[in-house]
Amino acid sequence: MKLRLWPYLFSQAVINIMNNRLVHLIGLGTMVISLLIFGIFLLLFVNLSAWIEGWGSSLTISVYLEDGIGDHARNSVASFIKRLPDAELKRFVSKEKALSDLRNTLGPQAGLLEGLSRNPLPASFEVLFKEVGGKDSDPRKIKEQLEKFKGVDEVQYSEEWVNRFKDLMKIVRLVGLIIGGLLFMGVLFIVTNTIKLTIYSRKDEIEILKLVGATDWFVKIPYMLEGIIQGIFSGVLALLTLFLAYFFISKEKAYFFSFALLDFSFLPYEYSLAIFLLSVFLGLVGSLIAVDRFFDI
Amino acid sequence: MIQLFRLSKSFGPSTALSDLTMRVHKGEFVFVSGPSGAGKTTLLRLIFGSEKPTSGHILINGINLSRINRSKLDLLRRSVGFVFQDFKLLPAKTVFENVALALQVIGYRRTFVRKRTHQCLKLVGLAEKEKAFPLQLSGGEQQRVAIARAIVKNPLILLADEPTGNLDPDLTEDIMVLFKTINMKGATVIIATHSRELLKGGAQRTISLIRGRIVGER
Ligand SMILES: Nc1ncnc2c1ncn2[C@@H]1O[C@H](COP(=O)(O)OP(=O)(O)OP(=O)(O)O)[C@@H](O)[C@H]1O
Ligand SMILES: [Mg+2]
Repeated sequence: MKLRLWPYLFSQAVINIMNNRLVHLIGLGTMVISLLIFGIFLLLFVNLSAWIEGWGSSLTISVYLEDGIGDHARNSVASFIKRLPDAELKRFVSKEKALSDLRNTLGPQAGLLEGLSRNPLPASFEVLFKEVGGKDSDPRKIKEQLEKFKGVDEVQYSEEWVNRFKDLMKIVRLVGLIIGGLLFMGVLFIVTNTIKLTIYSRKDEIEILKLVGATDWFVKIPYMLEGIIQGIFSGVLALLTLFLAYFFISKEKAYFFSFALLDFSFLPYEYSLAIFLLSVFLGLVGSLIAVDRFFDI
Repeated sequence: MIQLFRLSKSFGPSTALSDLTMRVHKGEFVFVSGPSGAGKTTLLRLIFGSEKPTSGHILINGINLSRINRSKLDLLRRSVGFVFQDFKLLPAKTVFENVALALQVIGYRRTFVRKRTHQCLKLVGLAEKEKAFPLQLSGGEQQRVAIARAIVKNPLILLADEPTGNLDPDLTEDIMVLFKTINMKGATVIIATHSRELLKGGAQRTISLIRGRIVGER
């Protein structure tokens, strides 16, 4: 396309939008709503994953100590734990504390413990991992390292639970992918059809342009520019609406979420950018698909 | 040169043109006459390439229209002006913009487009109506916009479908003079008409069609 034609093509796109305000407004509305639904889904999905991840990956490890472990050995275990990344030494449970905890748990049946001649429970450290799965926080490796310490009897963590959590995340991702994919196709379908509608109302115009000797691209480019412009506006509007909705909901967060102490955050900027680019892409592809149908003149 | 060889065109069961063979030389001025429904518009549309023949061949300067792709056809159309029987003006564009469009699609410079468009609108007597929209014009005025758009690019071939159907006798004469002038400058002109009035005057070559067949030539 000759450089000289671009100002004409661009002004043509703007004029077309102005001349077909209503149709474009309808198209814009449809696109914003579709993108908004997609965006709300993404927002919920991202937060839900974060919640599950945060909740699931905080793993407690119990480090059981041998009876009669010296202060020195105990301190070296404690300082090793403190140096572990992502780990927090939550508390030390002495033999006496362990027994009284058990007594509390048993409640009325605590009498069972009366007959014991000595305290059978070991002392332990409880360690909380905020993040599990990284290469520095593989529970199996930490268990191995800790069990080499003098005075450490056994290290326990629930392997089963970690695996189950990983499976759960897999399912959540898969379901998210499927729902997201379906929504995406729905949005594509709606958008291309709306644009088809806006172009259908102008198929006479396309015919006439072709009849006076316009090349396909000369006809197509203004429509593509229109689609891109519509995509830009829809994307910005949808994101803005989504953000405002998020803003007001999170302001009421104390009310909505206080019971769970959950963090509700906005889409990471990659996702926002993706929605915006998706919108532009949809506008462009939608108008290309739509305009191609009228080209057998 | 335009050559038609055993050209036929059917729309479903109805035949618009059957077995037409003829040639029009470069720089000729030809009338195609015949009653309504004879196939005049269909013939011009086939030559213009906006309709495909059911059988037969159309050669324009030796180029077979059924052998070239669309983008070649677009290029070819840049040297062909067409005055449509139903005008085919863009209602959302002004008279000036409608005419200028034929130059813009080719990519002429803006200054040239402006100058040449003014010039052509003056030739058809519409200099004062430049800023009007087609639907604000009379039928005859719309027809002259269509004529201006067809001649603005100095076409090598001018196809005019009933170009004076909405014009009064004086304007008809003016437009015919305009077409003759374009023809003198070297353009091949083919005019379809059922007006006996138009055919009476000149000693032009006239091809008569009836129900899709050539029934006479003068
Ligand atoms: N697109 C079409 N679909 C179906 N039939 C058509 C089509 N175009 C033309 N025809 C038929 O072909 C025949 C010739 O039509 P055409 O328009 O070429 O006639 P014409 O000579 O231009 O008539 P007029 O003087 O009224 O303009 C007519 O019978 C018409 O019904
Ligand atoms: Mg006709």
